Amino acid sequence: MFKREMKINFKSFLIWTLILIILFLVVFLMYPSIMNSENIQMMNEMLKVFPEEMLKAFNMDISNIDTAFGWLKTEGFVFVLLITGIYSGILGSNILLKEENDKTIEYLNSLPVTRKNIVISKILSSVIYIMLMILILGLFNFIGLSIIEDFDKKLFVLLSITPLFSSLVIFALCLLISTFTHKTRKTLGISLVIVFVSYFLQIISEMSETTEFLKYISIFTLADIRNVITDITINPIMILLTIILFVLFTIMTIIHYNEKELI
Amino acid sequence: MKKNSIIEIKNLTKYYGKIKGVKNLNLELKEGEIFGFIGPNGAGKSTTIRSIMNLINKTEGCVLIDGMEFNKDDVSVKEKIGYLPSEINLYDDFTVKEMLDYHESFYKKDIHKKRTELVEKLNLDEKKKIEDLSLGNLKKLGIVLALMHQPKILILDEPTSGLDPIMQNIFYDILKEEKKKGTTILYSTHILSEISKICDRVGIIKDGNLIKIEKIDEIIKNNLVFVTITSNEVNKIIDDLKIEIISKENNTIKFKNKSSHCELIKQLASYEIEKILIEEPTLEDIFLHYYEGEE
Repeated sequence: MFKREMKINFKSFLIWTLILIILFLVVFLMYPSIMNSENIQMMNEMLKVFPEEMLKAFNMDISNIDTAFGWLKTEGFVFVLLITGIYSGILGSNILLKEENDKTIEYLNSLPVTRKNIVISKILSSVIYIMLMILILGLFNFIGLSIIEDFDKKLFVLLSITPLFSSLVIFALCLLISTFTHKTRKTLGISLVIVFVSYFLQIISEMSETTEFLKYISIFTLADIRNVITDITINPIMILLTIILFVLFTIMTIIHYNEKELI
Repeated sequence: MKKNSIIEIKNLTKYYGKIKGVKNLNLELKEGEIFGFIGPNGAGKSTTIRSIMNLINKTEGCVLIDGMEFNKDDVSVKEKIGYLPSEINLYDDFTVKEMLDYHESFYKKDIHKKRTELVEKLNLDEKKKIEDLSLGNLKKLGIVLALMHQPKILILDEPTSGLDPIMQNIFYDILKEEKKKGTTILYSTHILSEISKICDRVGIIKDGNLIKIEKIDEIIKNNLVFVTITSNEVNKIIDDLKIEIISKENNTIKFKNKSSHCELIKQLASYEIEKILIEEPTLEDIFLHYYEGEE
């Protein structure tokens, strides 16, 4: 069953990974020419005009965008967070529900396999693909950056790992939500809302102290890019929180899926 | 020797919100019997079957398999069951071969020999992709999947829909062989002629209630054969033969035949008969008969 899960989810994994790789490829091809031009000066001047809150929201107060790594730290990782988040959300919404939508669940349910094992096989293959996406992208960016400039390798590795936390929790949450409905369309919508609302809350929370509390309800707080850039370390609390949330959602999924009417 | 109960359905009740699916259904299937489960669409056949298979949650009641309650995660019980749903939905990206390999991978025992035997009997092309299969071929694949692990119990929901008459006969032969081996079969259908061909007993379900369980021989014995005669002498026939007519229209009468066919034909030979039709009862006739009985 696990092998089948890997096989059927490979295509979407490939497409999403390619989207990210193409995006970064364009950046790596463009950056050397931007850096050599006078535009960068102009751009930095222009950024000074922006309010501080705005720059904070995009981590531009702690990083310049005059290098490719600088861009990665500000906007680049935001894309990675969003795209891996969306991919994980779609995967979570779809992976169990697909069997119900395609009505293949009637066959799968008749096989000598427990519902718990069905859920675990699907989670396992999804987690592997999410990790693989982040790993491949990290490697690609590492190679790309190495070719065009010098950069802080430790910071890069830490930053590359951070999307894993938010993605895993988004996946597990969407999977749990999917056990409450029979239609993929509904959960797909909800998963996208979760990702974008989380991202929006994260941006607002960083703008000022009065809105800071919002970060506690954003899944992207787990990725914690800002603190990783300033402290060059991953906050162990975020790792712990990710594990706790992931395990909690997984257990709730298994329990609720066991009670679910599958048809 | 008294045969053991393989499937026992006890007080099965299923409500979808306030809508009744089945109510207080009790049924016992003995080892090696083919039990026909008959009723019109929406009567509760599929609800019963889906409750047995734990696809849906029972509002009340339980299902015992081999004397043990069958719960969702009883893998060892699931191994004993072969299930053919009324609508077969399989993985479209697979070929028939891949689908059968996938099915094999779930069973510890070697089931390859049985698979080959069934594929040959049903003339199934393993190279075809599932998305390209016709309804009939999809049904054949469903049959192979339900039978290849040699289950002790077969649950078949309208198994012959989509099969051509030749394939239907091959399928009946397969079921008869399974019966000989002691396999118990729950055979759900709305086609009465199928039931009389292969079933030992029949349960009639309507509006979620199992209204009657009867042996097939009993149904046949119960005069459930209808005769329609068109003749100028219908009134004379009614008087002489003392038949209770169901309907009369001009020179045509319809009645339940209470004697043997042979005797009836002998009696009718002395009259001038324009048209005679001896027919099996339709599902409606059967229901009507049993409703009258109930009342």
